[in-house]
Amino acid sequence: MATPSLRGRLPRLGNPRKPILKPNKPLILANRVGERRREKGEATCITEMSLMMACWKQNEFRDQACRKEIQDFFDCASRAEGARKMRSIQGTGESGDLPPKKLNKLLQRFPNKSHVS
Amino acid sequence: MAAPAVKAARGWSVLALGLRRAVPRLPGLTQVRWSRYGPEYRDPQIDKEYYRKALAELTEEEKYEQELRKTQLIKAAPAAKTSSVFEDPVISKFTNMMMKGGNRVLARSLMTQTLEAVKRKQFEKYHAASAEEQAAIERNPYTIFHQALKNCEPVIGLMPILRGGHFYQVPVPLPDRRRRFLAMKWMITECREKKHRRMLMPEKLSHELLEAFHNQGPVIKKKHDMHKMAEANRALAHYRWW
Repeated sequence: MATPSLRGRLPRLGNPRKPILKPNKPLILANRVGERRREKGEATCITEMSLMMACWKQNEFRDQACRKEIQDFFDCASRAEGARKMRSIQGTGESGDLPPKKLNKLLQRFPNKSHVS
Repeated sequence: MAAPAVKAARGWSVLALGLRRAVPRLPGLTQVRWSRYGPEYRDPQIDKEYYRKALAELTEEEKYEQELRKTQLIKAAPAAKTSSVFEDPVISKFTNMMMKGGNRVLARSLMTQTLEAVKRKQFEKYHAASAEEQAAIERNPYTIFHQALKNCEPVIGLMPILRGGHFYQVPVPLPDRRRRFLAMKWMITECREKKHRRMLMPEKLSHELLEAFHNQGPVIKKKHDMHKMAEANRALAHYRWW
């Protein structure tokens, strides 16, 4: 559908009728878009962490006895970190549009001039 | 190295190729801790082995990297870094953390005295021990230092996360550099605070390093306390979202 018309909606001197719209801010395009709602992530590496803690409980928190579990935990943590980096670099799917952060950077470089100069 | 705090007005006086031009900032805000190098400057390669590799051994990427470095601007190497065989990045980092007021000369001398004290103590033990025990005593102060810091590194950390108006200590996996930093920070704080007024830092630090090497002592206890807190709060791990 095309953009709804703005003709005769605002309270202006030349407008004889009652105003339809009473905006509290000027109707000018801002140089930023709103952020997306943050996706609900879940905690990673819970199983490795619980295995490691069970091992600690049995061996009185000595690290030498739990080497294998600790190493698994570290591997899981680094894999999760790598996955997170990949997701943030790719721009989370995109599907035609840029993510809000990149859009804001682009708009910063080419802003909408609301002034004449 | 340029003084860290620079007023925006002074930036206009030196405009050379590659040096950062002063961007007009908001009035009342001063830029601190900035570098005079522009983004096109690359970090220097201190490591001699990088240049000693024979041309045939290099992969395509490494050859490209080396050719690229010939044409690009490179920052000056900091005075604290050398390309000698005795250079140790862990010791450098520890010395920087011990440094107060920019007095790296003093911090470096304390570090060398610490390593010397460690070596002396180990040699005394070595000469006093019997033949079987002598094989088990480690005398190289650098291995003792590295092993002690590795023993002090926490495996898991705690992070305050706001949920329902309260802050909960949630167990969180730490990256490697954070763990190394915590180990060094705990060691230095422990040695600064819990020592007798007349005792010198090298003596206390060497004692703590030797204890940490044998998995005893207050720094290891602090690490275990952190682990115990994390274990007690393991149910809160679901408050993490990463």
